[in-house]
Amino acid sequence: MQHFKFLTRMALATALAGSFASAASAADVNFLRFFGDCQTEYGTVTDVSKANGECGIITVLTNKFNAENKIGAKVITQTAEWGAFYDQLTATYSTGNIPDVAVMHASVMANFAERDLLTPLADGFKKAGIDTADFVPAALKNAMSKDTLYALPYDLHALLFHVNMDLMTQAGLVNSDGSVKLPSSPEEFISMGKQFKEKTGKYFIASESQSAEGMMVRLWESFMWQQGVDVLSADGKTATINSPEALKAAGLIKSIYGEGLANTALDYPGAEQAFLNGEAGILINGTWGVDNYNAQAASGKAALKNYKVANVPTIFGKSKVWADSHMWVMPKDDKRTPEEVDAALAFMKFLNDNNFQWSRTGHLSVRTSVIGSPEFAALPHRGEYAATAENATALPPVQNQRGVFNAMITDFNAMWLTGAAPADVLTAMQDSVDQILSRNR
Amino acid sequence: MSTARRTGTARTIDLTLLVATIVFAVLWMIPIVWVVAMSLKPNSELMRSTTGFIPIPFTFENYVNILKLATVPLWLMHSFIVAVSMTVAVLAISSTAGYAFARLDFPFKRTLFLIMIAGLMVPEQAVFIPLFTMFADWGLHNTHAALVMPRVAVPIGVFLMTQFFRAVPRELEEAAELDHASHLKIFLKIMLPPSVPALTTLGLFTFIYAWNDFLWPLISATRADMYTVTVGLASIQGNFAFSEGLGSVMASAVFASLPIVILFLVFQRFIVAGVAMGAGK
Repeated sequence: MQHFKFLTRMALATALAGSFASAASAADVNFLRFFGDCQTEYGTVTDVSKANGECGIITVLTNKFNAENKIGAKVITQTAEWGAFYDQLTATYSTGNIPDVAVMHASVMANFAERDLLTPLADGFKKAGIDTADFVPAALKNAMSKDTLYALPYDLHALLFHVNMDLMTQAGLVNSDGSVKLPSSPEEFISMGKQFKEKTGKYFIASESQSAEGMMVRLWESFMWQQGVDVLSADGKTATINSPEALKAAGLIKSIYGEGLANTALDYPGAEQAFLNGEAGILINGTWGVDNYNAQAASGKAALKNYKVANVPTIFGKSKVWADSHMWVMPKDDKRTPEEVDAALAFMKFLNDNNFQWSRTGHLSVRTSVIGSPEFAALPHRGEYAATAENATALPPVQNQRGVFNAMITDFNAMWLTGAAPADVLTAMQDSVDQILSRNR
Repeated sequence: MSTARRTGTARTIDLTLLVATIVFAVLWMIPIVWVVAMSLKPNSELMRSTTGFIPIPFTFENYVNILKLATVPLWLMHSFIVAVSMTVAVLAISSTAGYAFARLDFPFKRTLFLIMIAGLMVPEQAVFIPLFTMFADWGLHNTHAALVMPRVAVPIGVFLMTQFFRAVPRELEEAAELDHASHLKIFLKIMLPPSVPALTTLGLFTFIYAWNDFLWPLISATRADMYTVTVGLASIQGNFAFSEGLGSVMASAVFASLPIVILFLVFQRFIVAGVAMGAGK
């Protein structure tokens, strides 16, 4: 009986796969993305209000489009692992199954756009009725490469300060209006941290400090932009890391660890655990964590009970913070028919129309009409970090931006992992990044 | 008296070795037990703490979610086809080539053997791009052939079988030659039977390698209906799964490892014999 069940399922799966591979009609949209597979939970759900999390919301939006679109389009989703996603997407250009719509980070887009692997979308958006004037400037900039629009921006995911208000209250770092008191200068950052440590006996900051997520590099970049300088030259051809501003920003981060205000031993999950278990006052992490931490605080099972979110504070004058975007692109494919292009654009339009739903993940909406809407303001904590959408800043759109980022992490982490001096670290970063940029076409 | 003392010393050594073996076995088992324990805990719980070897609170949800996916049997089938095909091909090529290098005389034998050995020094990643382009030109990506073919020429397998066949007594072969047996007959009837432990070891290691392979299937099988189980299970993970979906990740790891564990349990005797044989040489 068990064998029969297994064989039946195998046959069913083979049939499903067969239909996946060969039953493509003119209006099929092959959709490649990460965010995971939630078919078991949301496979037939079309009510978006019932979906939660990145995976749930995009799955249900896809189901809803398939159920409701009037042009007979059918989106066929294929998921790929986040870490290896771009390798797999690149491979599809040779293996022959180029997706019609794919997810792409803004930080990666130049790699594809500058090699002419993406379809320009300005005309298509006009035809489909997607209003690009509604996008916040930072998001629209992310979707452009050399003045050409290649993507539908879908969110801004930026760095935030996630705050344990109970610990901040205990440390006396809460304003009279109940908002969290955050520093406005490097000196204040350290003095507040010391005050926090003295009053609570805990770490002021929890941040991933060991692995490749590079939270402190993102913070350092934010501090650079806050001083009005960039990490790369405007044309993206050289690094501009070895500067007095970079040293000032790196010096502050070195002091955070040097003064014992942050635990050097935490990796990404470790930093989250420390925050949820009430071992640190502030977790430095992105927008993507908001709903999870909110749910943990509400569950009553975590030591974190009173959770709030804050924009990364302005330490050096200008309000700027690191941000990236999830975007939807149409990889170039000479074999794509006009009907398939129309179907893909209709799907993009549908996603854009439902941008609010995506902002329920914790990411910031890229549409000014959504950010200003009462329903967005009603989402938990969104009002606490809405300004991040205006402060969002990204590196210039250069090829190998991920390579640049990874090289910076390796050198930067040496400040607290091996005790390297900030000046030496910056020199090493300058060399590493220049070497990577020199490989760009 | 001295015999009794010797017996006592031997017992002490045996006991020490036994205790050391148990300690190492336990140390070796700890990460595996931890992985299994985490796979049986809810993801939300693991976000707060990953410590502890007892899965409380307990859930099968992470496994149920894998088993509910309609594509999982298909991915398992692909992995099975690829692993079995690769194992059979590696055994056939390694044993015949090994026999030729060990026993036959042919022009440039030594040079060819050196070239084959040099293959051991070429890292897999170094040939990835040419291999990928070659299979793309042939239009073979997203097929079983593309998943199997690049992995069937295994220098270590040829080397292992060459060394093994060299150790088989010459007299056995000479007796067969007196009876006018062909090389094929000698290979099949005289050389292969004693090489079963070596072939079993090579076959098992090849199967395990093929089953666990990730990078090549990731870029060659880019259609979801052609994913192997390793690529497929990775594809269902959400972003930041290592913190937000750790239980699911661990369940995937356990699930994907099960066939290998079963294989090991069934063929344990051969693996131990094979490794011991290798150590003996």
